[in-house]
Amino acid sequence: MADIQTARIVGTPALEGTYISEMDMWPLECREFNRNYQFYDNLREGRFTTTKCQKCGHIAFPPGVICPKCWSEELEWVDLPQRATVVAVTETQAGAPLGFPLPLIIAWLNFGKDSPIKHLLGRVINCAEGELKDGDEVKFVVFDVPAHPIDVKKETKVCDRVYYAFERVK
Amino acid sequence: MTKRTNAVIVGGGVSKFGVREAHILDLFQEAAKACSDDISTLKPTDIDGLIVCSTMAGRHSSALNTAPLVAHRLGLKPTSICIRIDTLCAGSNSGIIVAKGMIESGIAEVILVTGAEKVYMPQRWETNYTQLMVNDHDWDSAMGLGVPPPFFAMIAKMHMKRYGTTKEQMAHVAVANYNYGATNPKGHFYPRTLTMDEALSARLIADPFGLFDCCPLSDGASAVIIASEQRAKGLSDRPLVYIRGTGQHATHSMSAGWPGETLAEWPHLKKAAEVAYKNAQVSAKDIDVAQVHDCFTISEIIEVEELGFCKKGEGGDYIASGAVNIDGERPINTDGGLLSHGHPFGASGARQSLELCKQLQGRATNQVKDPKIALAHNLSGTCAQHTVVIYGTEPVE
Repeated sequence: MADIQTARIVGTPALEGTYISEMDMWPLECREFNRNYQFYDNLREGRFTTTKCQKCGHIAFPPGVICPKCWSEELEWVDLPQRATVVAVTETQAGAPLGFPLPLIIAWLNFGKDSPIKHLLGRVINCAEGELKDGDEVKFVVFDVPAHPIDVKKETKVCDRVYYAFERVK
Repeated sequence: MTKRTNAVIVGGGVSKFGVREAHILDLFQEAAKACSDDISTLKPTDIDGLIVCSTMAGRHSSALNTAPLVAHRLGLKPTSICIRIDTLCAGSNSGIIVAKGMIESGIAEVILVTGAEKVYMPQRWETNYTQLMVNDHDWDSAMGLGVPPPFFAMIAKMHMKRYGTTKEQMAHVAVANYNYGATNPKGHFYPRTLTMDEALSARLIADPFGLFDCCPLSDGASAVIIASEQRAKGLSDRPLVYIRGTGQHATHSMSAGWPGETLAEWPHLKKAAEVAYKNAQVSAKDIDVAQVHDCFTISEIIEVEELGFCKKGEGGDYIASGAVNIDGERPINTDGGLLSHGHPFGASGARQSLELCKQLQGRATNQVKDPKIALAHNLSGTCAQHTVVIYGTEPVE
């Protein structure tokens, strides 16, 4: 895992410790709120995965609890390619949403003809402004993001979270 | 259900668009007032249905169940329908599609379709933050996707690379639409005009876009009356403008499942247009005047291609040739479009449709000569969905 953020942050710092899910830029990843929590557990193991339909074979992204092609519930987790080629890139130097450091770099990525998902838009991190070019190769990378609290009876449980992005293969 | 009557757009009004010192309910009231000014015989008791279109009302104005609030503030007591619709930038054209179905089936007779947004907040950061919620939050927004310019900049780069589109051609879109908008006192940037030099020397927003390549976010509201043919004749002496056909198509979320070979191809728009042309029993060549979703200059270029007004890849040439100007073959965005009139998401569709209503009734400010068929188009959800509504001076046979 990439060591992007070493300090553990709970909640949304801008709100001085109060957690408002509506203001959260990251997903509710825990099993109490998300039947696709396995995706995030897989991220923690360095795996980029999604759901494949065992009936019709369709591989969907993002993952779900039914197959969007045949509506079967018989799904399995499969790994996706972790490397892609940059088709186009855009860099935001100002006006990125709060919480995203500048430059915010987004690329349209091609995962190759053998990949079940051909293209994705993805964020590219650990990259200086002007460094990423069309045709560059990027690789999947996982990093920690702020945890959030949930109420479990009278206790407060803290859910740690991870997310993913891509970085340039040098 | 069989069709019992034809649905027509009678008239309507818009509030002033811009950065407004107003609550969203103030804006809904302003648009309704402008609508009643436009249709002088209209009384609140004539209206049996209300369709309210807003994306941000819940989050920015703490008004989640918006429609009954708007009904109350407008003095309406709807009996056929009272709902809010959210399809982001296509909101009120979606409302018009629903109104058409309800009127043609006989469920409703006179529906007010109104859209509004209060976009600007006490602290400016909150508007961009809200945009993280208008896409697939857990997958797109967590990637930092949601604020439109970077995404459309990528589309522009790809269109430039594949089809040779230039910054000058994009500037032609901005110049045409700003100069139309300079005649429209309700517009966000009224009375600003624009020259090619100004457009090309503007400060950079997201490469290759300068300031005038991007529409503003606006506060504002619009309202139109959609009625049965019979009721419309009682409300106004103006020529009837029929809703001939509609199409709406969605295929994907933002980050995954893009339907085109590259971002420069929008087959989902082509499909929405095909459906609308078929329902309206017209083809692209029949469109005399159009309102297309010019959220960015490149959007209008790709839209004229996918709508079939010119060949794929030739949108830049088509617009630079003057085809969309008032004396051109197919004037587009004659009230200033999103670029100049502004873009309060849920209000934009009815604003476009009202301009087309005026064009087909022969009373627009920038009047096109004797148009018969008109087309409105919105993209929404960062190009995840396309909406097309076609109007005509005659009903579909």
